[in-house]
Amino acid sequence: MQVLLKPEFAPVAPPQSRRRQLRQWLGGALVLWLLTSLYLVNTQQQAVVTRFGAVVEPRVLPGIHISLPWPIDRVTRLKVQQLQRLVVGGDAADTVVGRAQPLRLQFLTGDQNLISLRVVVQYSVGSPVDYLFRTNDVAQVVGAAVETALAQRVAAQTVDAILTSGKAAIQDDVRSAAQRLLDQYQSGVILSTINIESVTPPPEAADAFRDVASARADSARIVSEAQGYANDVIPRARGEAQRSIEAANGYRQRKIDESQGDAARFTQVAEEYAKASEVNGQRLYLETMEMILPKIKKLIVDDKGHLDLTIIRKGEK
Amino acid sequence: MMIEKYKRYFPAAGVIAFLIFCWLTFYTVRETQFVLITQFGRPLYTVADAGLHVKWFFQTATYFDRRLRVYNPRPSEFLTRDKKNLVIESYVAWRIQDPKRFVETVGDPIAAEMRLHDIVWSGLSAALGTHDLDSLIAPIAETVQASALLDQLSTMTDRAALERYGIQVMDVRIKRLNLPEQNKQSVYARMRAERERIARQYRAEGEEQALRIRADADRQKEEILSAAYKEAETIKGEGDAQATKTYSVAYSKNPRFYKLLRTLESYKKIFDDKTTAILSSDSELLRIMMRGESGAK
Repeated sequence: MQVLLKPEFAPVAPPQSRRRQLRQWLGGALVLWLLTSLYLVNTQQQAVVTRFGAVVEPRVLPGIHISLPWPIDRVTRLKVQQLQRLVVGGDAADTVVGRAQPLRLQFLTGDQNLISLRVVVQYSVGSPVDYLFRTNDVAQVVGAAVETALAQRVAAQTVDAILTSGKAAIQDDVRSAAQRLLDQYQSGVILSTINIESVTPPPEAADAFRDVASARADSARIVSEAQGYANDVIPRARGEAQRSIEAANGYRQRKIDESQGDAARFTQVAEEYAKASEVNGQRLYLETMEMILPKIKKLIVDDKGHLDLTIIRKGEK
Repeated sequence: MMIEKYKRYFPAAGVIAFLIFCWLTFYTVRETQFVLITQFGRPLYTVADAGLHVKWFFQTATYFDRRLRVYNPRPSEFLTRDKKNLVIESYVAWRIQDPKRFVETVGDPIAAEMRLHDIVWSGLSAALGTHDLDSLIAPIAETVQASALLDQLSTMTDRAALERYGIQVMDVRIKRLNLPEQNKQSVYARMRAERERIARQYRAEGEEQALRIRADADRQKEEILSAAYKEAETIKGEGDAQATKTYSVAYSKNPRFYKLLRTLESYKKIFDDKTTAILSSDSELLRIMMRGESGAK
């Protein structure tokens, strides 16, 4: 104890205690060294154990494990499920750096148009051993494989297909083609998504491309206006038709009812008339004259041609 | 005397000497490496198995990265069979296969990539010279033969590189097809023209469809209205016919009275306050006025 407290004041320690001290140190070091054989793999991680550089455990799942102590065995841990992101064709970081127009990759389409694409690739580790030991720079390999698959697909498509409907198909195609290449290279990478983020025509022709888009919108607008017209005109015509038919129905009913009324009235009057036709005829005649004559101007001419002025004056009143 | 003096350091020296001996004898080969054992500068053999290995202490181990590398030659311009210029960016996936040959011929990866560049360049220019532009890029996927070309090129390059430099070429692929800068302006102009044509077509097609819809609507309107007219007139005719029938049945019972009645009825409508009637004093109506009671005869 004395020795441990003040070693510098004990220039020559008794040999026995020195040996004991050495043994203690060595023992401690040994324990520490043996402890390096225990290792922990966190959830979401997988580990690869190499012994003198050679793989002995290609895939260690999460948990606590034992290996041979360092430096015989070495443990490399990998976040297997974590998706890694790679941007092909102009990084998002460009805008951070302050480049207004990010560098985009220009591709030649099947109909000989030039178009810039920006693609985001997400991948994860499929085989830890391959991922760690087979390729020099995994991101570079992934980028190259995706680019070549993309160039090939784009070269077999029209620019319209790429701009509109064909995008999803290209993404799928590129993913499977690039995955095939990456498997061939034993990169240990699994591509999870390939997303064509932006498709941009060259700035020299951009306004023409925009015009096509607006032409498409114009065309849709004209068509929907025409449909609006049709939707307006046809129901109105139907209404109009219904109205005139109803009016005709009304007319028919009115005619029938009037005629029946008239006929009934006539029949009744005629019966009475027949009983005393001359008197009734006179009466009807005179009644009618009474109704008519007060309203009209009358000139009464004598058989001999004299005008009866009093009657004129009476008529003018 | 001197030996006696340093005798107590002998064990320590022995341990150090043993460690140095171990250091020189044992070596590890990692998964990512090849080791070439050389004896006084002369390559002896290659160790490809990862793990702990033994050599003579006077031999040296040189380490080589055996991982796959991607080399991107700078974009260069090639001429297709139909004399079109293309700028092609390619990549070469390669790895060291035979370290002995590799160290004898090129030595380091940078030099190797320069050699690869030459092989790939001549391979590409030869391959492209036998293809038309249309067989490399086309709107229909089936006609594009680029991948066949590249497979052929890969195997060709591989054979050449492996034989000469101990390099295995896994793949030569075209990363990007582009046009030379000086051609681009005309391509842009063509793209513009093409877009303008398409825009016009869209607008005209929209117009066409719109006209068709309007014309169809107008036709339907006419049809609906004329059908309605027909039906309405038919209905009215029915009413008129039935009324006529009713009248004729009733009136023909007493046509004389009808004539009288109807004529009197008409008088009421015909004469109004603008009418001036010249009545003869001898008329039926005025005779009594003129002649008194005798006129009633």
